[in-house]
Amino acid sequence: MTASKHQRSDRVGVYICYCGGNISDHVDVEKVRADVEKIPGVAVARTNMFMCSDPGQELIIEDLRQGRIDRVVVASCAPSLHETTFRGAITRAGANPYIYEHANIREHVSWVLHGDRATAKAEKLVAAAVGKARLLEPLQPIRVEARRHVTVIGGGIAGLKAARVLADRGLEVVLIEKSPFLGGHVARLDRVAPHGEKAADLVAELARSVLEDEAITVLTRSQLVGFDGYVGNYDLRVRAVSDGDGEGQGTYVPFRGVSGGTPPELTIETGAIIMATGFRSYRPRRGEYGHGDHAEVVTLPEFIRRFSMAESADGTLVLDGRIIRSIAMIHCVGSRQIPGIHEEDAEGRLNEYCSRVCCSAVLHAACRIRERFPGTRVHDLYRDIRTYGRDQEELYQRASGAGVVFYRFSPEEPPRVTAAQEGAAGQDFPLRVTVRDGLTFGEEVEMGVDLVVLATGMEAAQVGDLVAMMKLPVGSDRFLQEVHPKLAPVESSVAGVFLAGTAQAPMTIGEACNGAAAAAVKAASLLGRGYLELDPFVAEVDPDLCQGTGDCVRACLAEGALEMVEENGHARARVVAARCLGCGACVAVCPTGAIDLKGWSLKQYEAMVDMIVADLAEST
Amino acid sequence: MTLVTPDFVEELQQYGDDTVLRCFNCGTCVAICPLINDSFPRRLIRYIQIGARDRILAGGRDLWQCLHCGLCSRTCPRQADPAEVILSLKRLVLAAWREEDTKNV
Ligand SMILES: Cc1cc2nc3c(=O)[nH]c(=O)nc-3n(C[C@H](O)[C@H](O)[C@H](O)COP(=O)(O)OP(=O)(O)OC[C@H]3O[C@@H](n4cnc5c(N)ncnc54)[C@H](O)[C@@H]3O)c2cc1C
Ligand code: SF4
Ligand code: SF4
Ligand code: SF4
Ligand code: SF4
Repeated sequence: MTASKHQRSDRVGVYICYCGGNISDHVDVEKVRADVEKIPGVAVARTNMFMCSDPGQELIIEDLRQGRIDRVVVASCAPSLHETTFRGAITRAGANPYIYEHANIREHVSWVLHGDRATAKAEKLVAAAVGKARLLEPLQPIRVEARRHVTVIGGGIAGLKAARVLADRGLEVVLIEKSPFLGGHVARLDRVAPHGEKAADLVAELARSVLEDEAITVLTRSQLVGFDGYVGNYDLRVRAVSDGDGEGQGTYVPFRGVSGGTPPELTIETGAIIMATGFRSYRPRRGEYGHGDHAEVVTLPEFIRRFSMAESADGTLVLDGRIIRSIAMIHCVGSRQIPGIHEEDAEGRLNEYCSRVCCSAVLHAACRIRERFPGTRVHDLYRDIRTYGRDQEELYQRASGAGVVFYRFSPEEPPRVTAAQEGAAGQDFPLRVTVRDGLTFGEEVEMGVDLVVLATGMEAAQVGDLVAMMKLPVGSDRFLQEVHPKLAPVESSVAGVFLAGTAQAPMTIGEACNGAAAAAVKAASLLGRGYLELDPFVAEVDPDLCQGTGDCVRACLAEGALEMVEENGHARARVVAARCLGCGACVAVCPTGAIDLKGWSLKQYEAMVDMIVADLAEST
Repeated sequence: MTLVTPDFVEELQQYGDDTVLRCFNCGTCVAICPLINDSFPRRLIRYIQIGARDRILAGGRDLWQCLHCGLCSRTCPRQADPAEVILSLKRLVLAAWREEDTKNV
């Protein structure tokens, strides 16, 4: 620490914004300017209608270039909106962007206070900012080496796509898949909506190109068991998924064979992680639409699998040797659940979201049944038809054209699936579906069927272990959550961890691939230069003051951010800047004041408090 | 309670075009039809879709209210051609009445 550290600047420039009336309607901006101008250390104080506009920024740039100021305070909206704008302006003027302090006089003042109180509070906040700004030091962003290596977790279509794009961008990739197979749920589909490609072709083509690529290492039957490090430098531990028995090599496991043994744990040094862990299909409760009570009630994934082995009897569908003359398909099973109407699961949760793919998947299946087996009737029971994407609405139309009959039910009164009564008229079917049909003017209608297909939706994959280990945020729907649904749609709040595909929300194959490609490109651009620049607002130890008590290490919230090292035979605390959160917990406990935060030092706080309690008129 | 009999749509094919299942029950035809009459003509189309033959025959006379202005067919977003369906139904109803008369003679 140099002596200059606590020298105060006396060339602070203050720029106060009208925000087009947003601020100036309640704060007397010109009075603030006149009073602030008199504060010691303030060299210039200016106002502008919109400080963020080009002419506004130009004021700052010009004063810096002319050497009139060497510290900048802008009083305007919340720093989340424009802090980077003004730091950018300072950089363009050729100065260090960290000589900047922000006073929020919109959200904190003009939107909540009026009249003299607003003006008085604005003056206090600006004065405090000036107090701090006088003590600001130029800082350099923390530069950390970054490994040009990404680990993708999950080998479904999203994980495969992410790996493919990353390798194309020249990065090394490890793909970790817990099952023995690549392809995820898509590998369990037949032809896929809306265009009818073979799922097998999509998966096989992509998986082959991934397996053949030397830049991609594929680890199947593997799971992540350890996560350490920080953005650009994560250390992962991966272990083989045991078959449950944990048998050592050479052990004979009855009815399974001789265990090949579990390969040792391995460590992966990587720079970023893409979570592509996918979804889990909803499993109906016993008795939900007769599931579990009647063998003829199956879920859509089960049906798709059986239908791929369909046979025909004179144009009528035959499944597993049984002639299927009539099928009812029920939408929204396990999705769009409503509190008070639907039953909660064992953990007291409901799936209130729409699963988004089931409408198209069920209609696609309905079309294929009718087009290949005109002797088989299809009854489609929906709440709403949500065929929302390109070429999906056409599926709805195509299903109508193919003779599918639709019924609309309300969630309060869902269809009932019961065993047909012996000998009742028109009831030579094993099951009977009864529904109060909105399309038939709210009347009850009933149909005899050989099979009921439940369009079961998507649930979040069970990745609680990873969520806990990596501290990933999860939405109320239990899917992994992005930072911002629009502006940061594939970023998680953990730096260097990205989201791809249905790990994040229900998506079609195309959407999952979009998300995966976006996540891959984000990761590639993060690591592409081989180093990262992080904000410099981290703890700093003064080795002359440090007594080596280690209090700070115990108080630290970020694992590995502080460590004790030997320096000239003495124990001293050292900060690992890339891991430090800048929270200040260490500063509060250090008995000698040896540790401080760059850009938010105790002295700077004291200066702010001094300015808040000072009588402005007096100090001038 | 109505039991769905999907075969009826095929029976009707002998009386006219097979457009009925294209209808997705939006109700545009009801809104545009100058006859302000209890869901006319969608009600009939829906009865055909679920095969409620008896109800169509029971209300057979109502079919003759239709002016054949064609507004419904022109505005139907699914080209279900309701006006043409009414004509098919008239043929069906006439055939049924004829059968009945012959029986009664
Ligand atoms: C019945 C049904 C029909 C569908 N039909 C269509 C359709 O016609 N058209 C369409 O576009 N979409 C359809 N979809 C959606 C499609 O299945 C998904 O969009 C797609 O599977 C998403 O791929 P994904 O990679 O995100 O997830 P997944 O396919 O779920 O893959 C995730 C992978 O991650 C692995 N994994 C999970 N956890 C871990 C872990 N902890 N460690 C390592 N690996 C892990 C899993 O084993 C799996 O291989 C349908 C979905 C269903 C349920
Ligand atoms: S996509 Fe359709 S079937 Fe699936 S939850 Fe949404 S509305 Fe229901
Ligand atoms: S500022 Fe917070 S995260 Fe950084 S070293 Fe101190 S306690 Fe740890
Ligand atoms: S053709 Fe008949 S049913 Fe159609 S709008 Fe005219 S009157 Fe109504
Ligand atoms: S306008 Fe066409 S699609 Fe709509 S209800 Fe009438 S017939 Fe059906």
